[in-house]
Amino acid sequence: MKVSVLRLALTLLLITSVTAAALAGVNALTGPVIAQRTQEQTQAAIQAVLPGGSDREITDFTDETGLVQRIYAGKQGYAFEVTPKGFDSAVTMMVGIDTQGKVLGIDIISHTETAGLGAVAAADTPVGKAFRQQFAGAGESVMVTKDGGSVDVLTGATVTSRAICTGVNAALACAAGLP
Amino acid sequence: MADEAFESENQKERGKEIMQAILGILLAAILSQNFILVKFCGICPFMGVSRKMDAALGMGMAVTFVMALASAACYWVNALLLVPMQLQYMQTVAFVLVIASIVQVVEMFLKKSVPALYQALGVFLPLITTNCAVLGVVLENVQKEYSFLFSVLNGAAGGLGFTLAIVVFASLRERVNESDCPECFRGYPLTLIAAGLLALAFMGFSGLRV
Amino acid sequence: MNFKKHLYEGLFTKNPVTVQLLGMCSTLAISTSLFNGLGMGLAVTIITICSNVLISALRNVIPNQIRIAAYITIIAGFVTIVDLLLQAYLPALSSSLGIFIPLIVVNCMVLGRAEAFASKHDVLSSALDGLCQGIGYTAALVVVCIIRELLGYGTFGGGLLGPGGAGIRIIPQPYPAMQIALPVGGFLILGFVLAGNQWLMKRLNLKTRKKGAKK
Repeated sequence: MKVSVLRLALTLLLITSVTAAALAGVNALTGPVIAQRTQEQTQAAIQAVLPGGSDREITDFTDETGLVQRIYAGKQGYAFEVTPKGFDSAVTMMVGIDTQGKVLGIDIISHTETAGLGAVAAADTPVGKAFRQQFAGAGESVMVTKDGGSVDVLTGATVTSRAICTGVNAALACAAGLP
Repeated sequence: MADEAFESENQKERGKEIMQAILGILLAAILSQNFILVKFCGICPFMGVSRKMDAALGMGMAVTFVMALASAACYWVNALLLVPMQLQYMQTVAFVLVIASIVQVVEMFLKKSVPALYQALGVFLPLITTNCAVLGVVLENVQKEYSFLFSVLNGAAGGLGFTLAIVVFASLRERVNESDCPECFRGYPLTLIAAGLLALAFMGFSGLRV
Repeated sequence: MNFKKHLYEGLFTKNPVTVQLLGMCSTLAISTSLFNGLGMGLAVTIITICSNVLISALRNVIPNQIRIAAYITIIAGFVTIVDLLLQAYLPALSSSLGIFIPLIVVNCMVLGRAEAFASKHDVLSSALDGLCQGIGYTAALVVVCIIRELLGYGTFGGGLLGPGGAGIRIIPQPYPAMQIALPVGGFLILGFVLAGNQWLMKRLNLKTRKKGAKK
């Protein structure tokens, strides 16, 4: 059956258009739900590192490391959303720092680290919690023991541990520049 | 005078940073994050075309070319069309159509200019469209928000890693296929186990960073 | 249109993973927990059924020259729908499967069934074929998942069962070999599963042959 090129192109265009329309519909349906989930996740992370939560976001800040994405301010201090580069890609974490410039706590929002190794940093297990607890109270730069600091690395996850230190340091450096 | 010296210092620093970033991407895409042996993309042609060395090399080159070209094309489709019109959800559909068109064009080009390679690759040439590595690298470029230069670099380097893995494996397979083994392991099971050991070897690169 | 025959083919004689060696990329990459396996299997099954049905319905309308491009567009559409729905309603599965959800588009099994079956048969048969091939795929995937999770982490049912979704611990902590959950383990375990399948097929054939000889 001889079919002209125009007919071929039009048929393909029709199929693509119908697909696009269907996707637009599904996107309109799921978009708000996805956005809300991300919002809930961020709020939960802020609550975890900054007691009392936050009531506003600070958009005017200087950050030389390029890792600080957002800063939320609350009564107890600030919560910094930082994205240091982990083993594979960026680790998104929240660092809570009080008004004296000391770390209140850290929370890992999302990551793609190796399960069982780097992923333990974000896990709800005793080992993971103990690791994250190390950062509480830190006032100046933190480093892993291999680099001369005081943070114990996770077994087999030096890169992830270093990455989290980098994130905390970026938050501390940025906090120094805030009132 | 002092200003000029400062300027050139700054430029040197930035040049060094860019070189480091480029080297980092190259090393990652070819070795520590190899598309076949670490990320599991492109297994079907890896198993299918790695019987003979020259077919494997030809396939590798074709895939590298498609990956680089697809990275470039999809970057512009994303930057000029999808993002400004808030159509991110159309990424999968758009990218896969772009890849299908590129493979079609490469097919026609090879048929006219390098018919020997066209014959050697046979049915596996159109199958580059369903090669997970091609769509995988394009999606990764978008996810990591690479610039145009880095996207094309990642695509080309990913293709080179694919070629490396498939060529090494082709040379392994000839030895493996002639060896003695239990009946039920003959064929693909043994091939997969050999691939597993190759993946183990490549794991040695996992800590490689710049 | 024989359900039993299709199911037997999907699970054993024409299993997409163990016999046809399609869809290996996802089988190797995400098969590290039961949650992943079931989730991916379900997603692929739904997508295969939907795309088979639509392609079969349109099989006389799509011109031959553009059929691959048309099939890919339709499959990509369904994949994106499933991707968006997962991101909205099952975010844990979405982030666990990651980039392999959009990669279902180039899963050789989906396109393969469309090309080999749906384009030549009616809608109901195509739906059935999609379902049975999907079940076969999920079964093979789940087998690999269970083995890898057990030997790699020592748990069963990760993501679904056990305390906080961590899975029921069967092998104590220090013994499991983490590497099995990494790429090398994927290749090795799939190789052994395929070998096991080939062995099983041989034994079953042998039994039927012996029965025939005795008669």
